[in-house]
Amino acid sequence: MEGPSSRVLSTPDRPPCPPGRRDSGGVAESESARDIKTHFRVCRFIMETGVKLCMRSVPVATACVLYHRFFERAGLRDYEPYLVAMSCLYLAGKVEEQHIRTRDIINVSHRYFNSSSSPLECDKEFWDLRDSVVQCELLILRQLNFHVCFEHPHKYLLHYLLSVKSLVNRHAWSRTPVAETSWALLRDCYHGGMCIRHIPQHIAIATLYLALNSYGVELPVGEREWWQVCVCVCVCVCVCKM
Amino acid sequence: MDKDLLRQCLTYHGQSLLDKLKCEQIENPDFQTVVSDLCKATCDRYDNPLVEQFIARKADILFCPSWKTATGQEEEQVEEEDAAEPYAVMPPVELFMEASFEERRVMLYRDLEKGDIVVGRINNIREYGFFLTLLCTAGGLKRDIEDLELSALCHIREIPSTGSHDDPLSYYQIGDFIRAAVKDIDRYQEKVTVSLHQASLSSKMEHVKLGVIPREELPTHYSRSVRAAADSSETYECILHSCHGYHNPSVVDYLLEKVGISDDHPPSMMRGLQSKLFQEEDFASVIRKKQSASWALKCVRAGVDHFKHGRHVEAMNEYNKALDIDTNNVEALVARGALYANKGSIMKAITDFELALVNCPDHRNAKKYLCQTLVERGKQLEEQEKLVTAEGLYRRALSLDDLNPEAKEALHKITDTIQKSIRLREEALAKEQEKATSSQTSAEKLRKILKEEKRMKKKRKRSASSSSSSSNSSQDSSSPSSTSSNRRRSKKKKKKRRRSERGSKRHSRISSRESRRSEEEEDEVEWYPAPPNTSATFLNQRGGPGSGEEEEVEEKDAEDRRISQLYSLSGASDDEESDSSHKERKRRDREESKAGKKKNSEERGRGSSERRNKSKDRGKEDNRRDSDSKRRSSLDGDRKRKVSCSSADSEYLRRSGSKSEYLANSASKHPESRGRHDSPRRNSFDGGRYENRGRGGIQEAEETRGEKDSFKGKPEEESSRSEERGSGNHKNKKSDFPVRPKKELPTNLLDIFSKIAQFEKEKGGRPK
Repeated sequence: MEGPSSRVLSTPDRPPCPPGRRDSGGVAESESARDIKTHFRVCRFIMETGVKLCMRSVPVATACVLYHRFFERAGLRDYEPYLVAMSCLYLAGKVEEQHIRTRDIINVSHRYFNSSSSPLECDKEFWDLRDSVVQCELLILRQLNFHVCFEHPHKYLLHYLLSVKSLVNRHAWSRTPVAETSWALLRDCYHGGMCIRHIPQHIAIATLYLALNSYGVELPVGEREWWQVCVCVCVCVCVCKM
Repeated sequence: MDKDLLRQCLTYHGQSLLDKLKCEQIENPDFQTVVSDLCKATCDRYDNPLVEQFIARKADILFCPSWKTATGQEEEQVEEEDAAEPYAVMPPVELFMEASFEERRVMLYRDLEKGDIVVGRINNIREYGFFLTLLCTAGGLKRDIEDLELSALCHIREIPSTGSHDDPLSYYQIGDFIRAAVKDIDRYQEKVTVSLHQASLSSKMEHVKLGVIPREELPTHYSRSVRAAADSSETYECILHSCHGYHNPSVVDYLLEKVGISDDHPPSMMRGLQSKLFQEEDFASVIRKKQSASWALKCVRAGVDHFKHGRHVEAMNEYNKALDIDTNNVEALVARGALYANKGSIMKAITDFELALVNCPDHRNAKKYLCQTLVERGKQLEEQEKLVTAEGLYRRALSLDDLNPEAKEALHKITDTIQKSIRLREEALAKEQEKATSSQTSAEKLRKILKEEKRMKKKRKRSASSSSSSSNSSQDSSSPSSTSSNRRRSKKKKKKRRRSERGSKRHSRISSRESRRSEEEEDEVEWYPAPPNTSATFLNQRGGPGSGEEEEVEEKDAEDRRISQLYSLSGASDDEESDSSHKERKRRDREESKAGKKKNSEERGRGSSERRNKSKDRGKEDNRRDSDSKRRSSLDGDRKRKVSCSSADSEYLRRSGSKSEYLANSASKHPESRGRHDSPRRNSFDGGRYENRGRGGIQEAEETRGEKDSFKGKPEEESSRSEERGSGNHKNKKSDFPVRPKKELPTNLLDIFSKIAQFEKEKGGRPK
């Protein structure tokens, strides 16, 4: 799969290994660390592009999940990650019923990589890009066995928010931007692979818990904690690197 | 940074957080200002160090004062049936948490406020009120309080009176479910009083009905909590999934709005994703627009190339393609307009240029081409003798491009021509001056009609073969050509007279030029008395008040009718045809001068009021009466015409209150007309009306047409003209007169006529 590698931020080259310093495990580790960094960057690209395309939170989350799931089994060497990201956005728009035109995706991505450039002309290069995005989309579908419908924590988070809101004094609630913070945390947690490793309820609880904790909101305690109510299992807050 | 929040956070987390904060946020100036106020943390709980690290790092974002959640809509959840809820309404969480009795009690008293809604069951009725056992809260607050066994009192005075003199308490029974508003809470003694008055509700929940509610109307969360309490296997999650509202596809959007988060500028804790960092030019829609413009430009260039080599079809295709890619692309529109102009589709070319100028008012080529095209079109119109329109176009062309020699020359030529025609018209009008018609109210008109009838009858008695009778008969029998030709001839003479009059009196002014132009057109119409393509429009004098176009159509119809009455049925049909041809032009011009049109239509309407069944409302004014009186002074001649003119007049006058002066003073036209700068159109209409009167419909129509054609009103001229015309009374359409009223008057009027005739006989008999 050819990607627009000429225009793409090249993945960081492997630093030359000082001989004998690393064993294969170490190489793998540094590779995986690098991979994580790459994935992080690409997910950042997805989030930014999503905002510029005026996509809602849920389709952007779908795009990130598609990306992570794709690269669970595929290797970064084999596929151009940014092209995969663009196709993920396109596919996520279709899945979540917020259709995005390929033209817009290509325009925004082009500008992301070549800042302040003029828009692309309607020439062979443009059509080639378009073709590659569409073909990559089919590839992603096949890689994921056509399971592209996911359940997201957003719904859960909002309902939990409402429930927790009723536990606290209304004035204290309006003073504390818990909702906004938890929503931001939820969006940001898609940068990493956490989103595919936990069930959506846990993710929602975790973000809400962290948000409440950050502001020091005291909640009543009964036989069980509020978060124990919402999910059956106690969840540790996993704060991914921010 | 929000100091209170920070303090709250530190209180919760303890000293270690403070240390970390100091470490991380040392550079942040906001933090410096508040750190001094932060008190020593009291509690020292165990905290995940990572969490503290996170808080410390992100403190500037977390505690930013602008990071407030927008206040979501706190509307009262309308208690709908389960199937219709937009999201899952969950029972209060404390139920699942199995919070302790004390805890819940404390929470309730802390959070319940005056104006909240509570639902309770009556457990005791005394003579001073009843007691409720609180079941749950309604409105925004959701609490599980049933087993707290809280009791609230509703005093008898808090119960709204039912109007009857019964004891209001008799309406209530033990066990009823009551929805009430909290009136007072005594937190120390833990007493709650409620009220059933609507006024005690808080403003957001004013629409909630207080009082007895059936079991079905109990809040959803309460009924669900009852079910959950009864069945311990129902976990929060189960209930959540079983709720119908949970499966609403747009539940996320709905709740986002409810909670107050915007998804357009989504919040983020990442420093790189803060919304203020996104630039407008990077957004998809902006880039798309720029790209469309550039792609369209490419097509336009290709099209221009085709055009230069003479391949017009391909050029047009390229332009259309460009406009498909980018509608309202200025270059494409200009190029396409040029192509249209070349091919001869002038109107399409003008449309394109206008559209291009709307988008980019300073486009040099667009202005230049439009100027040329307008001149071209003007020349076309000149050949069609639509001089006023042509002049307007030339003016517009000059306004676009001052230096175009062709436009200037064309403009001069046409203004000269129009001046001449107006002069001639003025002369003709001056001759009519003595026959001023007065404006009359319909009652006066009627009186006039009756007098006319009397006179006619007397005349008939006197002369066996009077011209009136012949004219009457001719009208009645609609054997028109002779009379109509007579009329036309006389009209022509009148026109000439008027024109000469006008020429002598008029000063050359731009406005006058325009009026002259209009008059000239009208004159032209007259010169070819009832040619299908001219007369009808002028005769289309009627028009009621209303929008120009409809007026025009109506006027034309009315005009047609009038014409038919005047001339002959065959003639009328011709007129109708011609009317339609003129209608377009008139409509276009009308847009320029709506007010004038209205006046004209009024005028015309009046003129034809007798004839027409649908009579627009005409104001009766003293004006009319004034002019009436003046006109009555010159009664000889066409009484009918007078009536019609006066009616037209009065309509006209109605519109322009002061115009009556004009009508009244036939002598001093100019000063008055000059005085009328404010309503040029009206004046012109005035003139039109007068003309009408003089010549019947034709003149009026001409005036109106002139009005419409003239982009600028010609106040003075019109008014003066009108005066002249008013004074110069018209033509002898006296034959028309009895016909018209006869045709339009209801039968009872005819009875009146006969009675008057009888009376006359008597009178005539008695002196004898």
